[in-house]
Amino acid sequence: MTPMVHPESEQYIIIAEHLNKIYPGSIKALDDFTVKVKKGEVVVVIGPSGSGKSTFLRCLNGLEEVDSGQIIVDNIPLDDNEKHRLEIRREVGMVFQAFNLFPHMTVLENINLAQQLVRKASRKEATAVTRSLLEKVGVANKADSYPEALSGGQQQRVAIARALALMPKVMLFDEATSALDPEMIGEVLDVMRDLAAEGMTMVVVTHEMGFAREVSDRVVFMEDGRIVEAGDTEAFFSAPQQERTNDFLRQIL
Amino acid sequence: MLSSRHKLSLLDFLLITLLLGAAGFIIFRITLRLDYDWNWSIIPQYLFRYDQEQGRWVTNYLVEGLLTTLRLSLWSSVLAFALGLLMALARTSSSLFLQLISRCYIELMRNLPPLVIIFIFYFFLADQFLPLLGLDALLAKSSPGLQKLVAFCFSPVSSLIPFLSALITLAVFESAYVAEILRSGIESISRHQWEAAHALGLKRWQTLYYIILPQAFRRVLPPLAGQIISLIKDSAIVSVISIQELTYQGTQLMASTYLTIEVWITIACMYLLLTFPCSTAVSWLERRMSRNQG
Repeated sequence: MTPMVHPESEQYIIIAEHLNKIYPGSIKALDDFTVKVKKGEVVVVIGPSGSGKSTFLRCLNGLEEVDSGQIIVDNIPLDDNEKHRLEIRREVGMVFQAFNLFPHMTVLENINLAQQLVRKASRKEATAVTRSLLEKVGVANKADSYPEALSGGQQQRVAIARALALMPKVMLFDEATSALDPEMIGEVLDVMRDLAAEGMTMVVVTHEMGFAREVSDRVVFMEDGRIVEAGDTEAFFSAPQQERTNDFLRQIL
Repeated sequence: MLSSRHKLSLLDFLLITLLLGAAGFIIFRITLRLDYDWNWSIIPQYLFRYDQEQGRWVTNYLVEGLLTTLRLSLWSSVLAFALGLLMALARTSSSLFLQLISRCYIELMRNLPPLVIIFIFYFFLADQFLPLLGLDALLAKSSPGLQKLVAFCFSPVSSLIPFLSALITLAVFESAYVAEILRSGIESISRHQWEAAHALGLKRWQTLYYIILPQAFRRVLPPLAGQIISLIKDSAIVSVISIQELTYQGTQLMASTYLTIEVWITIACMYLLLTFPCSTAVSWLERRMSRNQG
């Protein structure tokens, strides 16, 4: 079978078209959901809880499977081919709400692991990359600590460094600051802001509207697995078109 | 933590006195009423004896049995662990076929009396399967050095087949429990750990090997060690198929000396010699691990 090249794959690094997913109990998590992301774009996905934001994100790197629809990341189709799935995961870094660091490994080992296993880097090469990443996210002095010895904010910054270790082209943030104490949210958002400024393609699920407005290029507002409104950030916040968007923004701001 | 130094209270002294009194009473009853002739002096010569020909002390009957039990337990543990891990992985895999196989294996082994398993397996292994491999014939022809090594690690070539049969039977039986312990450990690790590893592009076996199993082992170390101690104790059961381990040697010695109580108390102490260091080592290991990180 010859690989089908999507006509828009030159233009968009992420193409997610007509995604459908139904959870047991016939809850529609994604309902004919379509989002395309250009290289270097920062797209923020907002919506009430249970609207399918996280599901969408987790489908993008194959942590969950869609029932129907098409996902193409950097020209690689996400399909039944296990190789494609692994390739996409190498291109896409993900940061979770609960950090999900490996508790039995030091910070250094956490970040070295995928480099050594997936990119086949030597321990020395991996460690050099890890040290520079830790420097970048501001926890260089914690390399030899275990995750439990770190604050929530530090753990999440290590998790970001870990996701960056494979030099991904896309970063997904699944409510990366929701589990943090308020005083630690800023330090994580700062790291994300720096990443966006460097031109990283990012899809961010968040409740931090200030961050969304400041950093993102586009906003997607979804509810019940459907897009209610999507558009350029400035227009979205200053002049929302839909009544429902207005309501939501009023509630959350 | 409780302090390791406890003070004995008056009540403790009372209880200890009471227990000593009870023990004394039992010994008194045995001696007086049963007309039992205590004869401890005969036991040591069955542990070690002086070999006139070689001019040195050699192990005798009971210590030989102890060593056989030790070898049997050691190799059975290794094999039981390997089999148990395989079964636990099959049980937690996504393949229905593998799940069914391990489910059958585990349920069958756990729901049959060990004695029955031993008789079935012993007949099948010792009479049918192992002779097919021709292992003993092969070894009989091999160099004396290799034969010595096999005798040291397993058992003399002449009794190798029964020994291997007993070893495999014990391992197969215990591996079902090991499998269940490991499965519970694997399933206790949060799915977030799987997801984090998958998101980094790790394959399933890499995730298991580097992320899930190390954490799972840590959690199930106490029950796993308990199972190994269990295995040492359960190894007594292979005395029914005439493996010359500690319990078998005990029955033989008792039959020839009639020193029932002395022999069995000695045997009990020798089992403790094996199992007690195990449990001590495990609690040391647990303390060390929890100190490293939680």
